[in-house]
Amino acid sequence: MDIQDQIHDQLSRRNFLGQAGAGLGTIALASLLNPTGLFAGASTPGENPVVGKPHFSPKVKRVIYLFQSGAPSQLELFDYKPKLEAMWGQDLPESVRKGQRLTGMTAGQSRFPLAASKYKFAQYGPGRMWISELLPHTSRIAPDLTFIRSLHTEAINHDPAVTFFQTGSQQAGRPSFGSWISYGLGSDNQNLPAFVVLLSKGRDGDQPLYAKLWSNGFLPSVHQGVVFRSGPDPVYYLNNPPGIDKTSRRRMLDYLGKLHQEQFKQVLDPEINNRMQQYEMAYRMQTSVPETLDISKEPEYIFDMYGPDSRKPGTFAANCLLARKLVEKDVKFVQLYHQGWDQHGNLPNDIKIQTKSVDQPSAALIMDLKQRGLLDDTLVIWGGEFGRGAYSQGKLTRDNYGRDHHPRAFTVWMAGAGVKKGVVYGETDDFGYNVIKEPVHVHDFQATVLHLLGVDHEKLTFKSQGRRYRLTDVHGKVVKPLLA
Amino acid sequence: MISLILLQATAPPSDWVLFWGHFHPLIVHLPIGFLLIAGLLELDRLTRRNSVSQHTITLILFWSAVSATMACLFGYMLSLGGGYEDDTLSSHMWQGIGVAVFAWITWAVKSENLGRIIPAASVLYLPTLAVALVLLLSAGHLGGNLTHGSDYLTQHMPGPIRSLAGLPPKLPELKAEPITDVNQAMVYQQIVNPILHTRCIQCHNADKSKGGLRLDTPDLIKKGSKEGPVLVAGKGVNSKLIKVCLLPEEDDHHMPPKGKPQLDESQISLLTWWIDQGAPFNKKVSELAVNDAIRPVLASLGGGGPVDAGGNAVAAKGPAPESPVLTMKVPAADPKIMEEVKKTGLLVLPISKEQNQLEVSAVNARSFSDAQATVLPGLSNQIVWLKLSDTQISDATLAQISKLKNLQKLHLEQTKITDAGLKQLKGLTNLEYLNLYGTSVSDAGLAELASIKNLKTVYLWQTKVTENGLAMLKKALPNLEIVGGVTEQAVAEFAKAGQEAKTAEEKKN
Repeated sequence: MDIQDQIHDQLSRRNFLGQAGAGLGTIALASLLNPTGLFAGASTPGENPVVGKPHFSPKVKRVIYLFQSGAPSQLELFDYKPKLEAMWGQDLPESVRKGQRLTGMTAGQSRFPLAASKYKFAQYGPGRMWISELLPHTSRIAPDLTFIRSLHTEAINHDPAVTFFQTGSQQAGRPSFGSWISYGLGSDNQNLPAFVVLLSKGRDGDQPLYAKLWSNGFLPSVHQGVVFRSGPDPVYYLNNPPGIDKTSRRRMLDYLGKLHQEQFKQVLDPEINNRMQQYEMAYRMQTSVPETLDISKEPEYIFDMYGPDSRKPGTFAANCLLARKLVEKDVKFVQLYHQGWDQHGNLPNDIKIQTKSVDQPSAALIMDLKQRGLLDDTLVIWGGEFGRGAYSQGKLTRDNYGRDHHPRAFTVWMAGAGVKKGVVYGETDDFGYNVIKEPVHVHDFQATVLHLLGVDHEKLTFKSQGRRYRLTDVHGKVVKPLLA
Repeated sequence: MISLILLQATAPPSDWVLFWGHFHPLIVHLPIGFLLIAGLLELDRLTRRNSVSQHTITLILFWSAVSATMACLFGYMLSLGGGYEDDTLSSHMWQGIGVAVFAWITWAVKSENLGRIIPAASVLYLPTLAVALVLLLSAGHLGGNLTHGSDYLTQHMPGPIRSLAGLPPKLPELKAEPITDVNQAMVYQQIVNPILHTRCIQCHNADKSKGGLRLDTPDLIKKGSKEGPVLVAGKGVNSKLIKVCLLPEEDDHHMPPKGKPQLDESQISLLTWWIDQGAPFNKKVSELAVNDAIRPVLASLGGGGPVDAGGNAVAAKGPAPESPVLTMKVPAADPKIMEEVKKTGLLVLPISKEQNQLEVSAVNARSFSDAQATVLPGLSNQIVWLKLSDTQISDATLAQISKLKNLQKLHLEQTKITDAGLKQLKGLTNLEYLNLYGTSVSDAGLAELASIKNLKTVYLWQTKVTENGLAMLKKALPNLEIVGGVTEQAVAEFAKAGQEAKTAEEKKN
């Protein structure tokens, strides 16, 4: 039930008259929260009605977002540019850059020598998609993939860019993608959170991640992302402490619930209800989480498919396997973050290490979802917060170079429900620098994913601080040609 | 004159003005009632003599005049809000003022005191009343036109009365062939003309040719308006037809006029594309150049098939049509039955806000059994997606499932169902998705599926199905996608994919 409705119910006219002695504070609170509701009768709709179900029948029921934090280089992985080889070492033509903003890390460089990918490309699948030799497993599943080569973003640094992708705004404080989906679509499994977060990193010392990325922002706190870990204790503080058994936990929760109810009657803070819901969810999760994440019955060859890392808790591979287990149980939004892509220098070496930890599990996840019939209504998204530039950051040699941040064009792939398979959408210029065909802005991308989930991105709103907010702010257009 | 008055009021009227203006439709009915009753009483008096007193009629006339004056005042305020057709508004205003003026004169000549000092008052009385009544009817009619549109009265007028009233016959309903294959569609007849018909022809036809422009026949489209041609063949955006649509809606020259149904983006791009291609009247889509921008728009018109075989596959196809069970209207489920189903531990979810179709899932009901499955047929109209994977069900449940005639997706993976049970699914003609992975289904059971013609995907990983059985099914249902899965051998080979590259690299180094 919507929080505004809850308060409204609490403070219906009759209750209000009954509680008239409760003091002016209560009246002030009620009228603050629902200025028209207090005297307007019970039919006034809440300001932020919980949607709880799609606006129209969805193609996608669940999303697994394999977020590649740090920004993988599209030029080494997906966007094949032979021109860079031909012009290796020459300066990036000014006609391409057109004075566009660079980060402080390369803005001072006297030259911008073009760097070609050290790694080779070949074409795969019916869509003849160019894929790098760094991704031998991903290239196997090319027929199931959809490439968007023309994504572009507004931010140029990691934190604002990730925040932009995840919340629709570069400034922190808005609800995360998964929170919007939890708020808009509710849960298909009352025993697990609708929005689960899994974290891993390819190497130490890369760009950090912050819990704000899976925050509920101004949405009710039941919609925040819950971090799961692989291993014996997947959710922090979920298990009973030593000496507390299930029965006493239950009794404790029952009494705590009563206390919370008393408190709610007095102060009418909707977050009290959210907290009670979260306690109950945690209680159910004490049973459901171990069941859901139990990998002891997975056959050896499934581990082999995800690669040797999949037996090591906390790796990207182990998280991919967990992601499958979670969507098998109808968790709506599984958000993985994999750190380690921020390769300003020593790129050829570092990207090889990084792709090794990512390529096989990503492809295995798609194959595994497919054979279980889950890819039919699950969407998998793979991509970072921006791309990397065509010129070398620092010294360029045949074997070593670096690439700076590049927000103007990068590649993201999707696989699964509702999108056309084996195709490439969008095109960049000969340097992979500017989008020349079918640009897709981050807000367009968000609108499209919401559309696939059966949500009209313009209608999924929440009123906070006097204005209605959306994931796509006031922008975003569904990329219709991508829809299958 | 009215436009002069309106021009003076350049600043938007204050809220007070519009507030009172909105009382015009209310007040305006008072003089209508008063004047008509005065007229009817006068008629009665003429025929039956002295049925009501002169004083009563004078009183009624006085209030007619007062209310008519008020109506004029409020009406003017309302007009300041704008948005009315100038000519009609002007006539309505002057006729309304006429009603007020004549109501005052009628009252004056009728009244005992004033009547005495006005010469020939008694002679003037009936003619002025008659004029006031005629003006009243006419102004009232125009007022109605302003509010409801000038064709409000006649739009449903049956044919015979239309011809009696001297009105032209109704515009014939457009009969365009529905588009089955967009490549073969006639560009003008099936794409352009239907757009013109729904958005432009109302004002640009044989009877009403605004600006001297008619858009109902090819010749007249080519001829253009009184100001010249509206098409520049080959140059869409330079053509007036497109330009006026692209002007901001507030612009006086914007078409269709503000307030009328507007062309949407894809309609404008279709018209532009047609003119870019030389505005031909007898060509098919396949005979014209289809660029990337227009391809998805064309594809969305229907027919599905790729628009340009040589083109980019992404944009070539519009979204696949949805299954009829997802688009059709079904009655809302009986809440009592829903409760019963929920009691078995199943999750019952509407597939969307606006639909009664249901998704039923056993995600948290692993103990769901055959005995409980008898509740399912109670929702046979509503259940389109059913997920009973990893439960205790067996073939007996399939007998219940066979009654769910609108089923589109069915999850039976990891259950004890067998070949014998699959026979039950034959009648599920809407079934598109069938998940049987991890069951003991074999070739014999698979053969039962051959009659489900709509079946699109079947999942058979970890079943007893052989290559032979697959081949048989593939023959019966050539479009069916059969999804198997990995074997240990396949995994070993897949895992090697990286190593091949690695060894190749090592060799190179």
